[in-house]
Amino acid sequence: MAEPGHGTTTSIGDKIIEHVANSNEMIPFELFGVDLSITKHVIMLWIAAGLLVTTALWATRRYRKEERPVPTGFSNAFEYVVDFVRTGILIPTVGKGHVLKWGPLVMSFFFLILTMNFLGLIPIFNGINHGHGGTTATGNFNVTAALAVITFIAIIVAGILEHGFFKHWKNLVPGGLPKAVYIILIPIEVLSMFVRPFALTMRLAANMTAGHIAMLAIFAPIFIMHNAFIGVGSVALNVGITFLEIIVSIVQAYVFTLLSSVFIGQSIHPDH
Amino acid sequence: MENLLRFDTGLIYWTWITFIAVLVILGTKAWKPMIKALENRENFIRESLEEAEAARKEADKVAGEYEVMVAKARSEAQEIVAAGKETAERMKTEILNEAQDKSAGILKQAEAQISAEREKAIAEIRTQIVDISMAAAEKIIAKSLTREDNERLIEDALKDYGQN
Repeated sequence: MAEPGHGTTTSIGDKIIEHVANSNEMIPFELFGVDLSITKHVIMLWIAAGLLVTTALWATRRYRKEERPVPTGFSNAFEYVVDFVRTGILIPTVGKGHVLKWGPLVMSFFFLILTMNFLGLIPIFNGINHGHGGTTATGNFNVTAALAVITFIAIIVAGILEHGFFKHWKNLVPGGLPKAVYIILIPIEVLSMFVRPFALTMRLAANMTAGHIAMLAIFAPIFIMHNAFIGVGSVALNVGITFLEIIVSIVQAYVFTLLSSVFIGQSIHPDH
Repeated sequence: MENLLRFDTGLIYWTWITFIAVLVILGTKAWKPMIKALENRENFIRESLEEAEAARKEADKVAGEYEVMVAKARSEAQEIVAAGKETAERMKTEILNEAQDKSAGILKQAEAQISAEREKAIAEIRTQIVDISMAAAEKIIAKSLTREDNERLIEDALKDYGQN
């Protein structure tokens, strides 16, 4: 990658990658031969999870006590989002009868991904790694792959719980077709079973990384050309991109959640 | 670049651990209570609306029944009044007819009585006239009247009487 005579450009490229990629092991840790080292993105995960759990527990404190609580203030706003996930994602996909069973998983997806996406927009967290700017755990495909694997398992579990072990696998392909069609159809369906979580993984990670790379690249000319005035244009452009990123953060959390819920729903209602 | 696509098992495990922790804590403490609360509220609103609708239908039904009752009572009252009028009219006609019949009877009886009395009076007067005539005749005879005179006098007397 590094070419002689392009020292600045290469170092900026490395800087950008360093920014969006995970750090090296900060606290090396191994358990039963499994590497569980704490890295930048692990800490981001924890910050997001801690923030989400605290906020959600605080916002829902009344719902644990009362039969029919009347939400006010922040609880009301929180309830609005929860109800959006319930009526906008869960009910149309898994069906009303399965909301209580699959709601916690789908809502955890949505809120955790959304929190991680939003935390990535705050340009301080790369400080964890003694760096500057922000970093997004959902921009790391290991995180999104782990989440997509949960979706993958949930799809299978939902089908088995609803139809039994063998019926679930039979449901993967529509019945009553000529035998020859199945020769093509079965491999396609098996492939699509794996493609779906792969697509989830890549879509979220790539989208969350792309914004950061774009913003850093827009800042790069200042350092390449050693001209502070370029910063005026860079900042103006990046303010715009930040607003775009807010939308991308919400949309990507929504898309991951919606598709997970759709796949789980398809597993529960294969004839739809 | 290789750093960006580095396969990082530690991060994958940590993601699972963190996600499952979030799922368990929030699943039991936040999402489920909230979903239940939302469903409860939805049911409550739907039931309230259904109850209101049922109450409205019941009220409409009662109002309808009441209207039918009032209409029935009104027509019955009209029938009673009409029947009363008819009876009164009939009774009036009967009473009038009876009164007319009676008065006619009384009149006829009175007329008959009057005419009988008259006949009787006339007969009585006639006998008395004859007697008076006889007495007069006797007096005139005493003055020796002819038979023609006698008869003429009687005739005249009768004629006069008849004219009166």
